Amino acid sequence: MKKVLTVLLVLVMLMGLVSITSAKVNLVLWTKEGEEPLEWNKSLVEEFMKANPEVTVELVKKIDVEVLREDFLTASLAGAPPDLLWTVNDHAGPFVTADVIDPVDGLFDLDIYVESALEAVKLEGKYWGIPISNGNHLMLLYNKKLISKAPEDTDELFTIGKKLTQEGNYALVWNQTEPFWLVPWLGGFEGKVFAEDGVTPTLNTPEMVATLKFLYDMKFDAKIIPPECDYDAADTLFKEGKAAMIINGDWSLGGYMGVLGQDLGVARIPKVVATGTWPKPYTSGVYFMLAKGLSGDKLKAAQDFIGFVLSEEKQIEMVKLLNRLPALKEALEDPLVTENPILKGSSDQMVVGTPMPTVLEMRCNWDSMKPEMLAVLTATKTPEDAAKTMQTSAESCIKALE
Amino acid sequence: MSSLTARVITGSLSQIGSMILYIFLGIIIFEVVVYLVLGKIFKSKYTIPYMLLAPAAVGLALLVIYPMAYEVRLAFTNMSLRYFRNYNLSLVQGLKNFTLIFTEPVLKQLKFFPLLSRTILWTVINLIFHVSGGLVLAILLNRHMRGRGIYRTLLVFPWAIPQIVAVLAWRGEFHFEYGFINVMLQRIGLQPIQWMIDPFWNFTAACITNIWLGIPFMMIIILGGLQSIPAEFYDAAEIDGASNWQQFNSITLPMLRPILTPAVILGTIWTFNNFNVPYMINRYELETSDILVTALFRAAFEYNRYGFSAAFALVILFILFIFTLTYIRVTGGIKGVYE
Repeated sequence: MKKVLTVLLVLVMLMGLVSITSAKVNLVLWTKEGEEPLEWNKSLVEEFMKANPEVTVELVKKIDVEVLREDFLTASLAGAPPDLLWTVNDHAGPFVTADVIDPVDGLFDLDIYVESALEAVKLEGKYWGIPISNGNHLMLLYNKKLISKAPEDTDELFTIGKKLTQEGNYALVWNQTEPFWLVPWLGGFEGKVFAEDGVTPTLNTPEMVATLKFLYDMKFDAKIIPPECDYDAADTLFKEGKAAMIINGDWSLGGYMGVLGQDLGVARIPKVVATGTWPKPYTSGVYFMLAKGLSGDKLKAAQDFIGFVLSEEKQIEMVKLLNRLPALKEALEDPLVTENPILKGSSDQMVVGTPMPTVLEMRCNWDSMKPEMLAVLTATKTPEDAAKTMQTSAESCIKALE
Repeated sequence: MSSLTARVITGSLSQIGSMILYIFLGIIIFEVVVYLVLGKIFKSKYTIPYMLLAPAAVGLALLVIYPMAYEVRLAFTNMSLRYFRNYNLSLVQGLKNFTLIFTEPVLKQLKFFPLLSRTILWTVINLIFHVSGGLVLAILLNRHMRGRGIYRTLLVFPWAIPQIVAVLAWRGEFHFEYGFINVMLQRIGLQPIQWMIDPFWNFTAACITNIWLGIPFMMIIILGGLQSIPAEFYDAAEIDGASNWQQFNSITLPMLRPILTPAVILGTIWTFNNFNVPYMINRYELETSDILVTALFRAAFEYNRYGFSAAFALVILFILFIFTLTYIRVTGGIKGVYE
């Protein structure tokens, strides 16, 4: 037994020696994607490595975007970050502040990408990411078997919703645990999370109170949403046909197309009757970001990999597989995009959206909104008190950043 | 994806192999240096013992002493997201960090002392159930009965499951829509509970999970203690006409004390510092379910207040140190070790 173990140890050490002396370039890529998009990530990596045998791309899936952000900062602090990130634009704020990513100006031809997508990662006059897809926004998705047409406004939503919600079936589901789902409604009530300066939180406002009251009514008065519902529960209820409508992002389109096929409908989130305004989901996109200090062969390999993923062919592949709006101008003009009803619905929602702030202070807003939204949805706080606490929490968080 | 799996395995083994290789080479170089310095230059007769101890000493220094020293240093800096690479190190900054812990919210709303009170409440609730539950089960198992081995195995089961796996399984059972507990509540005509988003129930859910996880350890420890008490003591007590309660109070409890003392100290420290259960069960980051260590983690890795968090960690260490000293002194629990 001892001999076997010794031989195994020597073999493993020899493998280590081979890897140390190997001339291969090893890129580590962290991705925020899951399910179908992750499968696409894997196939891209496989295909790229086949075509470029001198490069190894190690794909690491992070549980969610928050874990990716935390882990990347921790890894950077420890001096061992991954080389590339596949993540959302709002990470640019904290990463630029912490000086853990490099700008991409001069490394790539940025003129070939949609301008709005590039603007979402522009900070301090530089671009900090290369866009993969455009959007990343929430929209209303509905099951045509259960509801022939999406409601136009909130009154219609409540009327239809009351009819559809019965015996374990719900009219509408959405992730009630994340304030990302609160933001569209806040926009619908004509509220914003920041003042004009873009960094002062404006969470204790009549608009926020109205939004929280609206969410409370949706749950406790109209009772058209489940008593408790996180992302997975909402997703499962919709896929199982137990929910007629879901508010979810463009990242989920591919999965729902696979389950519902032609029965999937895409529409804008219903207009808020009280203000006559369409809800405004945050728009951004998915981006490649380069870790600080990437240079030499690794940088060259990263440029090649990014170029491969963002080729027109692969962008069209993304549209076909995931129904995401491409960030490459050429791909956006392809008939596959312009004539696709799902993408048409998605872009129709996107035009009323609002760009997601990338500043570091947004982190404080998210963290402050989350528990208070939950408190309103558990009826443990009034919307007025919750809005007040949101504001003081955000202010104390921003103070702590200094 | 089978080819990818093979590649992943090879890649992982290569990484492990290179790490072992580096450690191996490092040890050889270090041993040669120790041999040359002690054996050849100083001609020490303890060269061989020092050479044998050297790798462990270096390992301890790297894994324990260096992180502790780094932590103390970090506590005197303003390191945060804004000052990630260009932070200041000064005594004034350290004092500011320690002052902030007691004067400003640790996270969003919650200040230190309410958080400490909740942590103590969490520890007391859990420990009461761990010790009483463990004691009752150990007494039940410490007698001749059919199938004792099976009962013992079943009762130890929660301890055998990796904690994180058990906690995630429990979290699934607390799911509002699909969790076993709510399904059962509905079956018997009760309203389902919002375990994940209601502050009271979320804290309760964390307590239930940790009590379930902690009882087997206490049971095993106490069972070991019970089996070491000579039967003659009980025989003599019975001849003297002592009741069951008198036997328990005058023989069992005093004889268990040397075993219970370290178990309670360990249990307190583990529960006080338990991260997995309150963090994983508190899926939606309710501040009302945070205890000191989860708040510390959030302050460090979610709010990126590294300097502040390092100072906060030292405060927690100090609290546990004082508790341990006091407990040992009051109970005299480890007297036997010295006498």
